Amino acid sequence: MKEFQVNGVTLQCYPLTAAQRIHNYSTMHCPYHQLLNIGTGFYIQMETDFSLLKEAIYESYQRFESMRLRFLKDTDDTVYQYLVPFEERDIEYYDFSHWKEEDAHDEMRRWTAVPFKRFHSPMSRIVMISLPDGYNGIYMKVDHMTMDSSSIITFIRDILEIYCAKKYDMAYPKPMQSYIKALEKDLAYEAGSPAQKKDAAFWKAEIEKSEPMYTDFNGMGRLIRQRIENHNPEQRSAKVTSVSPEASISVFQLEKEPSERLMKFCEEKRVPMASLLLMGLRTVLSKFNGNEKDVSIKSCVARRGTLLEKKSGGTRIHFFPLRTIMEPEMTFMDGLRMMQEEQNKIFRHANYDSIAHTFQRNRYWKLTPGASYESISLTYQPMTLKQDADNIPDIPYKTMWYTNGVAAQPLYLTVMHRVEDGGLNFNFEYRKDAVTDYEMEYLYYYLCRVLFRGIENSDRTIGEILDII
Amino acid sequence: MLDQLKPIICEYVEVEPEDITPDSRFIEDLHFNSYDFMSFLGEVEELLEVTVDEQDILELDTVGKAIAYLEALKNA
Repeated sequence: MKEFQVNGVTLQCYPLTAAQRIHNYSTMHCPYHQLLNIGTGFYIQMETDFSLLKEAIYESYQRFESMRLRFLKDTDDTVYQYLVPFEERDIEYYDFSHWKEEDAHDEMRRWTAVPFKRFHSPMSRIVMISLPDGYNGIYMKVDHMTMDSSSIITFIRDILEIYCAKKYDMAYPKPMQSYIKALEKDLAYEAGSPAQKKDAAFWKAEIEKSEPMYTDFNGMGRLIRQRIENHNPEQRSAKVTSVSPEASISVFQLEKEPSERLMKFCEEKRVPMASLLLMGLRTVLSKFNGNEKDVSIKSCVARRGTLLEKKSGGTRIHFFPLRTIMEPEMTFMDGLRMMQEEQNKIFRHANYDSIAHTFQRNRYWKLTPGASYESISLTYQPMTLKQDADNIPDIPYKTMWYTNGVAAQPLYLTVMHRVEDGGLNFNFEYRKDAVTDYEMEYLYYYLCRVLFRGIENSDRTIGEILDII
Repeated sequence: MLDQLKPIICEYVEVEPEDITPDSRFIEDLHFNSYDFMSFLGEVEELLEVTVDEQDILELDTVGKAIAYLEALKNA
């Protein structure tokens, strides 16, 4: 912790956590400062008392410390964070009810592409919105260094619960937990704790096992081209960064019934949905890359175990490679168990600094700048706005995630449950120079084929599945 | 050991300590997810100064089985 004088006031400031440094690192290497913006919308089909909604928003700001975070830069360029005691900006209201709905969403996409001022400035913008067909709600833009998707869902749910408590005399939500307390725990881990040393030893051993193999969601073309350019037929990594980070989001909706089939399978076989999705994705990557056995995916770990971590907001995601080597004779079920074990290993060591791990791996295998073994990142977001929230009325909802227009990674898949019916949404955020709409649809199609061929007979071998899809 | 584990379990999930019994299943009854459970095991390892074998984790589906396993590790 360090003290700074800001406008004549002494402030206690904290360094960034490892999860925040991932995002800070991205901004240092990307000229597009909206990179860290997350735009989301949540709308309810009911008449809304906007002055009451505004009160609920201010109250949630007060309960949710990470929504009141600010950043500052020291003379040596180190970034620090501090809390302001309250949020005093006015919450605006926009009436789009006479617009075409798509035009309203386009407007909010434009808002999402506007960067925040990074230092001594609010890192969020909330606007109350009216959409056509009687939908009302909020648009929210936050900086990824202050919030992640779990925090955003928790925050919006808090606003909604406070609104319902005020309006309908329903149960008031339980208090949030302290962001600062969670932050101090993270910083204590990073200050050379025994747990950190144990995790460092684990990741060092993982890196040194053997060199992974790059598998691209578009097939072997990228790796083959780079092998030729570098006169290295044995090259196993590929450059994935780009000077053109322009991005978009495509959402594919898996209907309620097939989504429920996947969930039922996971429940019966006692495997996490994230393991099933990872298994599906690694099988598709194998298929697209000449039935490659050695496949790595960048897996995102939300790191929200304790109630303190679940209810204190902030940004906690770490990324680690999930590498599996599977023989074609292995059954889908055995593959799933292997995936689950690998995921558990990552979970046990997920507090380790992801950026440090990436640098260590790149140094050890002498990767060129921008090279990687993973072409795609996956997040499964199990949390929904309605989950375990009996005090939210059963009314039609609409949720939106708005692109900020740029992305550091070529392809980032987030799978989440639709609030409307519990079905699964597959949100592909992709860099436009890396993948087209058609290629994305192709990938989604194959992913579904693998998942459903796998769960209809999990004793099928991976080789059989690769043949029939 | 049950009394030692109860407050740790309550740090992870919203459950009353008196509702935690040896028969409580981590996933179905206590609503742990995989990450919660791995993180919980890490905390217990530190507390008891033991190391859980990764191969054994999937077998530890109830509080009672976890206690028996941890006690065996501690006494080994």
